[in-house]
Amino acid sequence: MGRIVYAAAMSHVLHPPYYEKNVGPHGKRMVEELIAVVRDMGRELAARRPDALVVIADDHLNVFSFDAVPAMCVRIGRSVSRMAQEGAIEFDRALDGLAERYPLHEDLANRILEEGLEAGFDFAASWSAPLDHAFLSPLTVLHGDRAMTPLVPFWVNCFVAPLPSARRCFAAGQHIARVVADGPWNVGVIATGGLSHFPELSLARVGESDPEFDRRVVGWMERGDHASLTALTTKELHATGSHELLNWMVLLGAVAPARARVRFFGEMGRIDLAALAWDH
Amino acid sequence: MGPLSRYDVNVLLYRLKKDAAFRDRFRRDPMDALRAAELSDDERDALVRWNPRRLNELGGSLHLLLSIPDLGAH
Repeated sequence: MGRIVYAAAMSHVLHPPYYEKNVGPHGKRMVEELIAVVRDMGRELAARRPDALVVIADDHLNVFSFDAVPAMCVRIGRSVSRMAQEGAIEFDRALDGLAERYPLHEDLANRILEEGLEAGFDFAASWSAPLDHAFLSPLTVLHGDRAMTPLVPFWVNCFVAPLPSARRCFAAGQHIARVVADGPWNVGVIATGGLSHFPELSLARVGESDPEFDRRVVGWMERGDHASLTALTTKELHATGSHELLNWMVLLGAVAPARARVRFFGEMGRIDLAALAWDH
Repeated sequence: MGPLSRYDVNVLLYRLKKDAAFRDRFRRDPMDALRAAELSDDERDALVRWNPRRLNELGGSLHLLLSIPDLGAH
């Protein structure tokens, strides 16, 4: 019987130059502190010897265009490439210098997809979608010099309305936990993104975050108050710039009723950074 | 959340990010690069004048507006 042996969620632009440019020295220092915490978490992940790592993250209109944006998508196949962006600027720079290809855990990905469709989750499937910083920035920090764990990338549409509901994302996570339990593998589950930033996805409001909202949702995670978390509406997530919490909702469904331990929480102004782990 | 009908603006922003040849053409002669696009006058004007804030107000994706090489809105 399979087990979820490690579960964590964390911010996903782990790239000090980005914060130095856009926030200043204190932003750079704060993300460097977070990176040190994520490195420690990576050592804990490695000690659990996962056979596969399900990574739940969003696309920043790098992978899916406005021609088709899946609500949730499972990456299948044998390997996955890093997104290539010539002339990369801003958060895409977090990909600079990273490896070109990464292994996938084909069997687990197929089971999540196929059993999902049987269970009523109309997941999209992709054989070719590459990974952007939302996956690779935290994954490379977590793994350090160690070989990359075979991945199951799982996308949630966090930015192109209409978004899937928090409740539906949570249910997808419960589905992933059932698939893991029915399989033979030890599996890590990582969600990335957030906390609050880019409220209303408004360019005029770039630079604002909502620390009070972030403290409240992190408190709910610490207390295992999943009813309050899944009651959050996409309107609330949009208003506060908490779109990427939808990724975390999938993880919450996978680990419920576990409570989170806060490993890092930092209020930067432009964005609030965090790393949480769940004993499972 | 924002309107769903801004397909054409966002297709152009996506192309500006991903297609270097189109981006060069747009920078040389934006009116010509946009000639075939189905845009409102407001959208076309915001693109030609490269007004990222206005484009965002008109439904242009924030993440695209922030990350188009040499035109990013940061």
